[in-house]
Amino acid sequence: MHTLSIIAFCWFAAQSIVGVIDGVPIEQLGGPIIATAVSIAVRASTQALLDALAVRGAAMVKSQLRRRVISAVDAGGQRLLGSTSSARLATVLGPGLDALDGYIGRYLPQLILTVVATPLIVTALLLADPVTGITVIVTLPIIPVFMVLIGMATQAVQRRQWQHLGTLSQGFLEVVQGLSTLMVFGRQHRQAERIADVTEQYRRRTMSVLRLSFVSGFTLELAASLSVALVAVSVGIRLIDGDLGLALGLFVLVLVPEAYLPLRQVGAQFHAASEGIAAADDVLELLEPAPPTASIGHSSPVHAGRAATTDRSTGSAAPARADEPQPLPALSLRGLTVRRGERVIIDRLSGEWMPGTVLAITGPSGAGKTSLLGAVLGLVDAEGDIELDGAPVAAADRASRIAWAGQRPDLTGGALDSVVALGAVRVDSALVSRSLQWAAADDVPRDTELGAAGEGLSGGQAQRVALARAHYRAVERSSRVVLLDEPTSALDAATEARVIAAIRALADDGRLVVVVTHRRAVMAAADAELVLDLPPEHSALDLGGRDSEAPPVALARGQR
Amino acid sequence: MSARVERDSAAAVDREMRRPVLRASVPPIRAFWPALALGVLASGSAVALLATSSWLIARAAEQPPILFLGFAIVGVRAFALGRAVFRYLERLVAHDAAFRALGTLRVSVFRRLLPVAPDGLNGVRRGDLLTALVRDVDALQDLPLRVLQPIVTALVVSGLAVVGIWWVSPAAGLVVLAGLSITTVAAAAVMAALSRDADARIAPLRGQLADAVLEYLSRWETLRAFGADAERRERVVELDAQLRHAQTRQSAAAGSVAALFTLGAGATLLAVLVVTEPVFLSGSITAPVLALLVLVPLAVFELVAALPGALSAWWRVRASADRIATIVPASTPSELPTVPTKPVAVPDGPLTLRLRGVTARWPGESRRAVGPVDLDLAPGDRLVVEGSSGAGKTTLAHVLVRFLDHGGEYLLGGVDARTMHPDEVRRHVVLCEQSPHLFDESIRQNLLFAHDTATDDELLGVLDRVGLGEWCRTRGGLDAPVGERGRLVSGGEAQRIALARALLTDAPVLVLDEPTASVDPDRAQSLLDELLGAAAAPDRAIIVISHTPVADRLATSRLHLAAPRG
Repeated sequence: MHTLSIIAFCWFAAQSIVGVIDGVPIEQLGGPIIATAVSIAVRASTQALLDALAVRGAAMVKSQLRRRVISAVDAGGQRLLGSTSSARLATVLGPGLDALDGYIGRYLPQLILTVVATPLIVTALLLADPVTGITVIVTLPIIPVFMVLIGMATQAVQRRQWQHLGTLSQGFLEVVQGLSTLMVFGRQHRQAERIADVTEQYRRRTMSVLRLSFVSGFTLELAASLSVALVAVSVGIRLIDGDLGLALGLFVLVLVPEAYLPLRQVGAQFHAASEGIAAADDVLELLEPAPPTASIGHSSPVHAGRAATTDRSTGSAAPARADEPQPLPALSLRGLTVRRGERVIIDRLSGEWMPGTVLAITGPSGAGKTSLLGAVLGLVDAEGDIELDGAPVAAADRASRIAWAGQRPDLTGGALDSVVALGAVRVDSALVSRSLQWAAADDVPRDTELGAAGEGLSGGQAQRVALARAHYRAVERSSRVVLLDEPTSALDAATEARVIAAIRALADDGRLVVVVTHRRAVMAAADAELVLDLPPEHSALDLGGRDSEAPPVALARGQR
Repeated sequence: MSARVERDSAAAVDREMRRPVLRASVPPIRAFWPALALGVLASGSAVALLATSSWLIARAAEQPPILFLGFAIVGVRAFALGRAVFRYLERLVAHDAAFRALGTLRVSVFRRLLPVAPDGLNGVRRGDLLTALVRDVDALQDLPLRVLQPIVTALVVSGLAVVGIWWVSPAAGLVVLAGLSITTVAAAAVMAALSRDADARIAPLRGQLADAVLEYLSRWETLRAFGADAERRERVVELDAQLRHAQTRQSAAAGSVAALFTLGAGATLLAVLVVTEPVFLSGSITAPVLALLVLVPLAVFELVAALPGALSAWWRVRASADRIATIVPASTPSELPTVPTKPVAVPDGPLTLRLRGVTARWPGESRRAVGPVDLDLAPGDRLVVEGSSGAGKTTLAHVLVRFLDHGGEYLLGGVDARTMHPDEVRRHVVLCEQSPHLFDESIRQNLLFAHDTATDDELLGVLDRVGLGEWCRTRGGLDAPVGERGRLVSGGEAQRIALARALLTDAPVLVLDEPTASVDPDRAQSLLDELLGAAAAPDRAIIVISHTPVADRLATSRLHLAAPRG
């Protein structure tokens, strides 16, 4: 339709001009002029429609891919998240998918348009003037051939250059990000030179790439404009001979560039297309099943551990509240086994704990402390029975009956109240106050707005807010099991003492509080201790792996 | 409407701040005129190609001897060649000039950063803002390339074409001018109405969507555990739909603008035909000239159709310039130290440090962040600073290295630290930051910049002292890379490298700010012990800020920071 309107426009415009030249009074040219006007209108509206449809298509494909990756995360969550860093995932789903705009929004429609429009226009040209038609048919294929040849010649050079470019373009970013470190060592003043130097290198390298890249654009432009010249001259000469009418001649002249236009635009969008294909590859790779590796603790090491359990007590004092007698254990485990890949991390662990107990889980890193909490919570696959209040509960339903604070605060963004009341249908402001008070987090101003991914609090504050969040959940849902993973690791001694007292009070309220900890003060306050051990050969030679598993993202966090 | 007024007045305030940023991103005219000239030549050739070829064909139809056409035939070929060659050269020259300007721009933004860094940058305590700043600076390249170049080229060439047409037929000239102006103004109006809002919304929506996706993925366990995953997933879908809507709107605007230009070109063609018809009939112009007059506007419109793109590029560039201007304050806030006019040196000999009633505030915050603090430090002392979060421990560290100015008295070797150059203070008081920056270079380069004359033996020696000797050897020595932002290095190793760097400077006072902040809790204690053990020396004073308890044998004194008063 669009193409037809272009052809019609060229035809009728030529007719009108020739009409005037031939001395036909303008009043009698109504037909061709109106036809020109109509074809203009059709051409304009189809063009607008084409563009809009293409962009909409691209946006829809992107949404769909995004949703599919997210549901893939939901289905295979643990595994997928374990094998890919969440930052990389988010990059792929954000800017990565945007690269598809060029591919789906511009390149593909242009390609389709080319496939449809070019033959139509060429046919029109052939019918109008066979010589021109043949000229175009001969010259058109030269464009893709040249493009491919140039592409092959430059690809190797470009690939080599892009790598350098990646490093060089980071140079300025590095200096800016490391500015405070540079200032500590008095090195900031030299950096202006360094930036100028790096940018100059970047310019030289980029220009040498561009010199080649622009050659393909040059070829396109040259082929198109030379063909116009060729056609114009040949048409002109044949007009002199009287072989051709002026109307046809003008028609051909105006239409010829249109024959090259779609192909030229395909060429222009070509690099956008290759970026888009790379992005699509990234996304599809994510959607493929990853090898199963279960891990809940981002910072738990990967080496295996046999869980040797030294259970000091299997029960505890009776619940503090006399009006709520609780004869059933809050949590019982029978033959709980957790594997990570082939390795057994927790081996047939059993035990039961009454409400009112503070249970400390201790042991070296890698003994499976965090995995145990994950299994109880239902986020980590486990064998064996896990019972709450004396009845087995399916893994998927356990999280709703348990309150939990993980090793990392993992706060969400938004107003402090909604952060603390995560997962609640309605924010109970009074309960938020109580929870903040309980977690010794009442120094955090109530009007704090947390940035995306919970930025804006110091490490210690974030940890206490995460504790408050667990408390809110425990009270709101009357959870009888509360799991806390290293709740005081970022706290000073005085605050730790406050938190320990709060944990005690929470247990005395008729709950089982399970605390994973390294802190002596916390262990001392516990009623029972569960020690998870590494096999001897691992605990002895741990020095080589020191720190090596701390998450690198941590470097970017926690400024003040 | 009031929102609009507000935005306009905000824009007026910004303009003063924005101007120097924009000026720096435009290449000097002597570097840029070749690009502009080439652009004019390339576009001029395109117009001339259509003009000569339509004249040629119309003239040929009158069947003159071929000799009369020779000139036109040569012209057609020359303009065809010229269009391609000039365009290629234009792109090369313009990009080259823009990259050169980028160098100047980066240096000028960096020079603006220096007096206010690191604590005076508005809201730059979030690392990603710095990334955004750098991206905004790079986005300013578009000003010469995608804003000035197309505007200048389109205006000059279409102006010349209009003048040319007017010269032949004043009526046709006026019609073309009117057609071009009406179409361009209408296109700009459509863009301002439809696309500007969408443009303005798309960037923040993209950001929000990216944040929501990142939050969903990185907090997946927490969201699951709290039963909030469904709600967050819906939020992602909702933002996604909003973004899609805005993008569709934007593309509708772009489509209508393109359609407008097609319409304008066609209408102008017809109008020119109608107004030149009587002129032609009266015999004052020939048939070939008529064909030329009618068809040339097509080529001119194609050129002017680049203007809306330039307009939206300008909006983007302006937004970037505004962000840079807001992040980097033009003047130094009063909370930051200034360089004294006659700086004195830190006295020689054993260095003591003394604070009396020291307080400090962060720029833009009304509340005091630390203090008042009193402390005394002599060589060999190891002072542990404790206190709940929010007591101002890191603020104190920043005061000690003069990142922040202070109230009260800070004496270094008995001399007021304010009379010294901040760099001079930092040569004697070295800070190991909570998140030390590691550069994407080798281990050697990451150490050398602290002390650039150190030999490899010295470097390996200091690595041994901080417990990284074996680690460095197993990685293949000093040339091993640390990765982008220290990606290949764990939190504990980064702290050790930072300490190694600090030890290399041989500064008499060392401040360790939460060295265990990004280390696993069960490794924190041993790391802290080792770091303090490595740093301890009889002639060095150490201040360690830590929430991880410090053993009594490693500390000579303790300071408990209370929450700031007043």
